[in-house]
Amino acid sequence: MSETCCGPGYASPAEAMKAPREKVLYTIAIYTGTGIQKPDYLCTIDADPDSPTYSQVISRLEMPGIGDELHHMGWNACSSCHDDASMERKYLIVPGVRSTNLHIVDCGTDPRNPKLHKVIDGAEIKAKTNLSAPHTVHCLGSDIIISMLGDAKGNAPGGYLHLNKDFEIVGRWEESMGDIKFGYDFWYQPRHNVMVSSEWAAPNTFMPGFDLEEVGHLKYGREIHLWDFEKKEPKQTFYLGEDGLIPLEVRFHHDPDSSHGFVGAALSANIIHWWKDAAGEWQWEKIIDVENEPHPEWPIPVPGVISVILLSMDDRFLYLCNWLHGDIRQYDISDPHRPVLTGQVWMGGLLGKAPEVNGVKVTGGPQMIQLSLDGKRLYVTTSLFSTWDNQFYPEIRTNGGCMLMVNCDTDNGGMEIDPDFVVDFGREPNGPSRCHETRYPGGDCTSDIWI
Amino acid sequence: MTTRTITIANRGNATYAVDAKKPLLDSLRDQGVDLPYGCKYGGCITCAAKLIEGEVNQKAQVALNNRQINDGYVILCVARPLSDCTFDIGVESHDRLYRNPFLDPLEPHELKADIATTKDQ
Ligand code: FES
Repeated sequence: MSETCCGPGYASPAEAMKAPREKVLYTIAIYTGTGIQKPDYLCTIDADPDSPTYSQVISRLEMPGIGDELHHMGWNACSSCHDDASMERKYLIVPGVRSTNLHIVDCGTDPRNPKLHKVIDGAEIKAKTNLSAPHTVHCLGSDIIISMLGDAKGNAPGGYLHLNKDFEIVGRWEESMGDIKFGYDFWYQPRHNVMVSSEWAAPNTFMPGFDLEEVGHLKYGREIHLWDFEKKEPKQTFYLGEDGLIPLEVRFHHDPDSSHGFVGAALSANIIHWWKDAAGEWQWEKIIDVENEPHPEWPIPVPGVISVILLSMDDRFLYLCNWLHGDIRQYDISDPHRPVLTGQVWMGGLLGKAPEVNGVKVTGGPQMIQLSLDGKRLYVTTSLFSTWDNQFYPEIRTNGGCMLMVNCDTDNGGMEIDPDFVVDFGREPNGPSRCHETRYPGGDCTSDIWI
Repeated sequence: MTTRTITIANRGNATYAVDAKKPLLDSLRDQGVDLPYGCKYGGCITCAAKLIEGEVNQKAQVALNNRQINDGYVILCVARPLSDCTFDIGVESHDRLYRNPFLDPLEPHELKADIATTKDQ
């Protein structure tokens, strides 16, 4: 398949798993909403255990302005252009959810010290496309699409911004949003001509913070959407109802022939699984249901709030984080209809099970995760979103977030927090910041898609 | 131009003369006040400040629910002063802005304007 190759990424998920171990991590850290009037920044963290600066921030790239709220980010290229020798996984696209600015960061020239390559101004994006609030970045061959959660005024459903490989605005990617009410995450599986998108809420609803009552007023999502990927329009909607309140992170199997995929419903604390059956019809079911937990000071039990899910490169394990409970779980999903819980670790959370880990007080709960390509190391950060952090974990203002690493047993299942790795963002030079999504230069388990 | 005087209580009662027609965030930042902001269109709450005295027009904001408005919060990026005003600014003024939604629910009249019911008298 890849005789002509020397493009980015790997010929297959199995090849990706054999890649060299990650030496540096890129992680977002924010000051937006913290009271510290400094720009958000991209940290480079040393992940090489043989290095004297292992488990430390080795460089910081500040964004040009304040108030972006950096959140998710993505590569300019992945294994989807493995056959294209003219492409290179060199740039991270780092959006600001609040400002709509897109920062293009050159990580290739000096991987230990990334530099700002270009900024696409939020005002230009709003003026040209009537979109705001960028979230998920996926590359698509040589082009880039970004889910935008609002129109220029922060109303739902927004749409998809299309950039070319030189980071110029092409326009709106989608032909139609159909009856979609909200946007959030998306993932595509080209061999099935399908994309799946999920729903958070309008930016004007989620950015100021979480009013639970607004869920009942249908201001938050409870549907996922299957798209005709080539026609760029939605073709089928699954109404998940109470089982699927606030469906967030969307993951297809990495195996490009598979139709199986998963979404974590944050508020319902369920995992929803979909697949194409023998008759060619798309089906869905709930496969994991995290019970609410009693809390000594709460009149009602605490929901898990599954803020993220991730699949290992071999599609054998599904990881999820219960941001309010404070646990990360590992499920063996070899049979995607029947997940088996194989590992669980605790850090932070509201249930008080692990207030301190590796000598650092964990404020927040396990939130964003990134798994090494070989499936053995899971990097975890603790902040969700500035305003939501302020509601549920107000002490994060003074303590900041932290990053931990979990060692995962890929033979028998099981997880253990690594005792030697911790990055305490409470001790950053400009004051406590909050860490969020992580990526590796060589690609990771939430970037790469095979065509 | 109509000018209003804005006093920042938690910055040593510093005063600024501002154009009554311009959003407070722009006027104050132009005069060197270091204020947080994000979206700049009234939707994200980052720029909220607490009004201690005076009156503003902030009809264009969509970030605050009625409880936050009743607690005096003002979205500076869209608010214009209708009188001289005194504010507390920055996150030190956010003591009542954020609440745990599970522990401290909103009454129906405290929701955002588009879904709030009117309070029974
Ligand atoms: S800057 Fe977003 S509401 Fe004012």
